[in-house]
Amino acid sequence: MSKYPEVLVAAALGLLAATSSAGAQDAAAGEKVFARCKACHAVGEGAANRVGPHLNGVVGRAAGAIEGYKYSPAMTEKAGEGLVWDEPSLTRYLENPRGFLKGTKMAFAGLKKPQEIADIIAYLATFAEDGSQKAAQADPAGDDGGRDAAGAAETDTAEAAGEAEEEPSQAGADAAPRADEPTASSVASGSDGLKFGLGREATDDEVAAWDIDIRPDGKGLPEGRGTVGEGMIVYDQQCASCHGDFGEAIGRWPVLAGGQGTLRDERPEKTIGSYWPYLSTVYDYVRRAMPFGDARSLSDDEVYALTAYLLYLNDIVGDEEFELSRENFTSIDLPNEQNFIDDDRASEAHYADRSEPCMSDCKEGAPEITMHAAVLDVTPEDSDEKESRGGGID
Amino acid sequence: MTKVPMARPSSRRAFLKGGLAGAAAVAASAGAARAGGETVITEVQDWARYPGDGVDARPYGRPSPFEAHVVRKNVPWLTSDTISSVNFTPLHELDGIITPNGLCFERHHAGIAELDPAAYRLMVHGLVEKPLVFTLADLKRFPRENRIYFLECAANSGMEWRGAQLNGCQFTHGMVHCVMYTGVRLRHILEEAGVRPDGKWLLAEGADASAMTRSIPMEKALDDCMVAFAMNGEALRPEQGYPARLVVPGWEGNMWVKWLRRLEVGDQPWHHREETSKYTDLLASGKARRFTWVMDVKSVITSPSPQAPIRHGKGRMVLTGLAWSGNGRIERVDVSLDGGRNWKTARIDGPSLPMALHRFYYEFDWDGSDLYLQSRAIDEKGLVQPTKDQLRAARGPNSIYHNNGIQTWHVDKEGVVENVEIS
Repeated sequence: MSKYPEVLVAAALGLLAATSSAGAQDAAAGEKVFARCKACHAVGEGAANRVGPHLNGVVGRAAGAIEGYKYSPAMTEKAGEGLVWDEPSLTRYLENPRGFLKGTKMAFAGLKKPQEIADIIAYLATFAEDGSQKAAQADPAGDDGGRDAAGAAETDTAEAAGEAEEEPSQAGADAAPRADEPTASSVASGSDGLKFGLGREATDDEVAAWDIDIRPDGKGLPEGRGTVGEGMIVYDQQCASCHGDFGEAIGRWPVLAGGQGTLRDERPEKTIGSYWPYLSTVYDYVRRAMPFGDARSLSDDEVYALTAYLLYLNDIVGDEEFELSRENFTSIDLPNEQNFIDDDRASEAHYADRSEPCMSDCKEGAPEITMHAAVLDVTPEDSDEKESRGGGID
Repeated sequence: MTKVPMARPSSRRAFLKGGLAGAAAVAASAGAARAGGETVITEVQDWARYPGDGVDARPYGRPSPFEAHVVRKNVPWLTSDTISSVNFTPLHELDGIITPNGLCFERHHAGIAELDPAAYRLMVHGLVEKPLVFTLADLKRFPRENRIYFLECAANSGMEWRGAQLNGCQFTHGMVHCVMYTGVRLRHILEEAGVRPDGKWLLAEGADASAMTRSIPMEKALDDCMVAFAMNGEALRPEQGYPARLVVPGWEGNMWVKWLRRLEVGDQPWHHREETSKYTDLLASGKARRFTWVMDVKSVITSPSPQAPIRHGKGRMVLTGLAWSGNGRIERVDVSLDGGRNWKTARIDGPSLPMALHRFYYEFDWDGSDLYLQSRAIDEKGLVQPTKDQLRAARGPNSIYHNNGIQTWHVDKEGVVENVEIS
């Protein structure tokens, strides 16, 4: 059941009905308007956070409340002040997102037509917190109830038809009718829970043999320990032939050390010390894949020792006596951890601008070549021995 | 008896000039007289006189020897060793939307694992009700599905961030392929083990010597991911993960773990090497984006292109290319002959399937003047393929991954094509 009962939603929408001058809000029309939001926001069953948070149950919900979504500081602050997404606040936000909330991550310019805003709020109000539809309960329009319900039904059919087109073999499952009053169990069912009686139970030893992964919180770290000095001996024997004596790398093998402070440079050097966010990744990767050509040959202690030595090469520990172990592992943070952000490509100007692309007279003057690939002459057919100007894969 | 083709001219330009000269000679003789003619017509050819190979000669058929140049190619300077490297699909030689199995680009981190299918096991464990082990035969007993999807490496076009570098769409765009996968829904496999409510992430791991791992959000895993064991109707090729690989539609190729051995359900991502030190996108600000999974809307003209110059001279010609988007179907492809000043909508032909390659054509009469060819795709979400300048303005030159910028090919008066950047 929703934390914010339907009463509140109905009240919000009742207010909307009272203030809306251009006729009743229309959830079906709102769904069309919502197409402009879909690049960043999902709504409905199984909706997840994308560039923006999912919008299930948003009407009547406290702002900034979706777990696992990283809100802008501005939104978090506003949420702390008690902002609730009701019809008036959503209307103001959708009219002019950055006007309503300076510093919001939402790059959308805003909806200019009041009717579109009313419609989209009506559409969003049809979704419960769990993503199921509750059009019947939320419909505030009284006399128009029949019409709106019909509209929602049409929408359902259209959705089901669209999905059927995309995935014919799934049409039966996807088009299943939804319950009027969905409960947690009915939402979780559907095609879930279907068992085929295949496979056999894995033994503890089998899981232990393959489950070697390590997480940043230390989950998966084995018993063991190793010092910087011990790591240097292993490194010189096993690693230096590709990665260089000090992690500087031979040829195009990965550089392991140095590069701190270069990430904004023309030629950034991305190493464990300058770029990697978590030390657990070093242990995990060395243990699963190194040394190249003889994977899984190092003992857990040797991997601790190597990891300690790589910290030393990156000036993250300064003492050759330093010993890394399962016990102190998670106390070490890598310097660049805070500089990773989630995918916000959709907010880039060229994606946020959803206008039709130009078809004629789009640029002035005749094209002039500013850069030739042939001059560079690094294409294999022409020469196999050339070095690029940079920008390889890695 | 198999005829061995004549050696191809060593350089592209030599071949082009030969081709043009030949075309001119034919044109001249055709205009000269009604008598005589081409010997391929007027004389009986060997293949029309003598029988060829029997049905026992080619138990697994191969392309014509005349197509021997249509192969994947490596760029040696890119990497230190071919066993941790990439080769490129010859897009300029292909048509339609399906990539032949032997031409699908390869990316390995420890070479091609050669797995005996009898020794293949897939383990599902972690936050599940019951950890399970499946054999390949077990996997094939789940309901099967056939789906056509593109697979693009996130680093496709990564060498072109700073400007035009490699002269051929095989190298600029060839880390993409598109096949029909046969397999089973990942959802069914996970539900067989029973995902616990706190199971929000999935770690997929390969059985090769790199033990490739990627974290995948459970929403995606339960949505449209597959475990595939066949491509284009036959078993997966070893270099594509035989006997089973993960299919993660529309998302970067690195996540499509080959030789899939293990699926662990967890409550948070693992932040492993391939999602931290690699496959994160460094911005000019020094910040880096992580978990940039979706492959953006993109297109490229495959012919003409530097490896597929115009050999027939002016007049009627067919321009063709590929478009794709991790967001779904391609809605439209526009083509420009004048470097983006004016655009015409191209014709998409063949199936238009979500998260699959789309084939487009634009037919026109070439007047023999310089062309600055570009293509611009628009996907069903309304996202428009950006220019390389727009991408560089937003991200700087060091993102490596997710370069979906508009490509420019310059065609000179002789039909020679070059990868360029223009004003």
